[in-house]
Amino acid sequence: MLSRSAQGLYWIGRYLERAQHGCRLIADQFETMKDRPVDEIDKSWRRLYQGLQRVPLGGELRSNLDDEQFMLVDAYTLADDLTFESANPDSIRSCLANARENARQVRNVVDEDLWSCLNLAFLDLRDVEISDIWKDRPNEFYRRTEDAVRTFFGIAESNMYRDDGWQFLQLGRFVERAQLLAGLIDAQLTVYPVGGPQADPDWLSLLRICAAGDSYGRLHSMQFDPAAVVDFLVADPLVSRSIRYAVARICEALDAASAGRPLAVEAGRRAGRLAALIDYDWPNRDPADDEAIRATLHAIGDSCRRLHDDIDDAYFSYGIEEGADA
Amino acid sequence: MPVEQAGTGGLADGGQLFAGYETDPAFYDEMFDASGAPRAHCRELLAALGGTPHEEIAIMQERAERSFLHEGITFSVYGEEGALERIIPIDIIPRIIAAEEWDFLERGLRQRLEALNLFLADIYGPGRVIADGVIPADMVRGCPQFRIAMRGVEVAHSTYVSVCGTDLVRTHDGFLVLEDNLRVPSGVSYMLANRAAVKTSLRNVFRRHRVRGIEDYGRLLRRTLAELSPRGDSDPTIVLLTPGVYNSAFYEHMFLAREMGIELVQGSDLVARNDFVYMRTTGGLRRVDVIYRRIDDDFLDPLAFRPDSVLGTPGLLNAYRLGNVAIANAPGTGVADDKSVYAYVPEIIRYFLNEEPLLANVETHLCRNPEGLEYTLDNLDKLVVKEVGGSGGHGMLVGPHATPDEREAFAEAIRNDPANYISQPTLDLSCAPCLAEGGAAPRHVDLRPFILRGQEMRLVPGAFCRVALTPGSLVVNSSQGGGGKDLWVLSG
Repeated sequence: MLSRSAQGLYWIGRYLERAQHGCRLIADQFETMKDRPVDEIDKSWRRLYQGLQRVPLGGELRSNLDDEQFMLVDAYTLADDLTFESANPDSIRSCLANARENARQVRNVVDEDLWSCLNLAFLDLRDVEISDIWKDRPNEFYRRTEDAVRTFFGIAESNMYRDDGWQFLQLGRFVERAQLLAGLIDAQLTVYPVGGPQADPDWLSLLRICAAGDSYGRLHSMQFDPAAVVDFLVADPLVSRSIRYAVARICEALDAASAGRPLAVEAGRRAGRLAALIDYDWPNRDPADDEAIRATLHAIGDSCRRLHDDIDDAYFSYGIEEGADA
Repeated sequence: MPVEQAGTGGLADGGQLFAGYETDPAFYDEMFDASGAPRAHCRELLAALGGTPHEEIAIMQERAERSFLHEGITFSVYGEEGALERIIPIDIIPRIIAAEEWDFLERGLRQRLEALNLFLADIYGPGRVIADGVIPADMVRGCPQFRIAMRGVEVAHSTYVSVCGTDLVRTHDGFLVLEDNLRVPSGVSYMLANRAAVKTSLRNVFRRHRVRGIEDYGRLLRRTLAELSPRGDSDPTIVLLTPGVYNSAFYEHMFLAREMGIELVQGSDLVARNDFVYMRTTGGLRRVDVIYRRIDDDFLDPLAFRPDSVLGTPGLLNAYRLGNVAIANAPGTGVADDKSVYAYVPEIIRYFLNEEPLLANVETHLCRNPEGLEYTLDNLDKLVVKEVGGSGGHGMLVGPHATPDEREAFAEAIRNDPANYISQPTLDLSCAPCLAEGGAAPRHVDLRPFILRGQEMRLVPGAFCRVALTPGSLVVNSSQGGGGKDLWVLSG
């Protein structure tokens, strides 16, 4: 497949995963805002922003803890920043616009149904503003937007020919997922240290964002042990929004895409080491040692960024001589 | 012409959609004859559509346009507001061409393209047409589109122009060729999109006609390009070279690449290495045999043409000259659609084919000749003046619609550089019924059929029919408020 086409699909995967993550974060934030005390809501915003490694527009997150009204105004501004702000490249609308623009550029390799799904999702969102969704039921808006992304991947799953196009769409999606999860779990541990006072809702909310609340509940009889939750979301290969699951998909996609390509060795090795880190080193750490856990999460995030560069070097922007030898 | 004068069996029978339709005797009407009666090949359409309330037709049209937007059948307009994606509006009422009319057009178009290819082979080869005094040497070799690098290059099947889009208009005197587009003609995707939309909206009407299919275009184009492959193998690697997503015709490039199942590449995706051309794939570099380029000569190869271009592929032209890759259309075809060379096409046909031209040219005055210059300056208020290298309706003066100041400014420009201008009479473009406020109304139309040539010539029976949607306007360009129509060629 033409490198630029594969690259386009890779970015579609990344942007849509990011958009979906954004929808899930904000939808969860609305849940928290229903009945949690003001300072908890504030903490939850902090986790959200730190997880995205973003500073809110205006410099820093400042909540007026004494004034509930003020809190709502804050929420309005922050949700706008995360959803519609065009100066925020990671806002949900920016992500959908970028995914769609990538699809437009490589439309000849994007299935008609996929294009149509993405184009309609973008057109639906293009002229909406925060005030439009705020007075109505904002939850529904995020549900609908996430559904559009889910529909996209559902169509991809059922229709796409499993050539490089599919593999690179998968790669983008799961490199992004691993990176976002590493950031989110790290932020969780910063805001709610394992050794500190714990409240179940804080951990339930993390599981909810990862669509893992029900499965965790069944496995652990609703006992929200922070260390167990972190384990679940980092290392359980059966949780679709766990880092280990994402790494497994990355390894599969790289194996399939790099068959017979010496250039791609580096990306494959790095993904393999990442899998090994979680399989063999992760269980050995002290469950109460936040610093050790966070150091590992940083290493994972860092690996994902390097993996991105490896993929770029191996498949998209390799030198002429290297390409000829392949 | 008021409805009352139309006579029974004529306009009045059209029912609601055509209730207020008034033809203007100054222009040929594609649907109604001079007496106001429907032309034989349009009766069925009139009967089928005439009874439909125009609101219903308007809804169909709106739906078709919305589907264009949803499917992204758009072109980009770049202005102060950044990029805007626009659709080319469709007029849902089809234009019909009778079988015998098409047969004539097809013969004329084939003849013309055959002669133009022979002309190009000659001017980049022995140059007999110049030596024999058929066309002035400086007009050919001094043309900015003349590519000296093409001298002596061996071109497969002597096909310089593989894809030609000829603009035709109809007047009371019959069909005329307005211009030959021999470089990177566009619009074929709109021909196909308009057909698809009309087939959906008017399926019952469509089924009652014996409309010849055009859906084969992508396959024919692919076969045409494959025939140019220097390797002569049955499955060459063909790519479509686009300037990128910012080009206004990008949708078409993408569409054609998909129709043909080939890669859509940009200059940066191609690499010339050891005089071969490769594309960058996820599996390493892969050799390319045929490039269907939708990018101007200037941007093909910065080493050969424009050193300041960042779009091209350095070394591409060398690989081409050595016969290791085919480029369609060949570089340098623009000399044959230059507006002053245009005036010589009838002579070119006679010279190379020893036949009389079937399709007439528009009467053209060359300002490079003293008598042409004098005539043009004396009649500026009646003429359309064009720059010889201009296109897309730019760089021209429409005398009857210009102010005296504009005419004077243009006259000055013509006097300063006469060879850069030609003039033609304003044409009485034919009209076809289009949906307007309150019913059908006549609007000016032209048509652009697409003719393919690899080893042999091929054309699908159809055309991109352009419409000037503004009442009275003669400008059909999509960049200037034009729209499109489906064009039905009936089988005999």
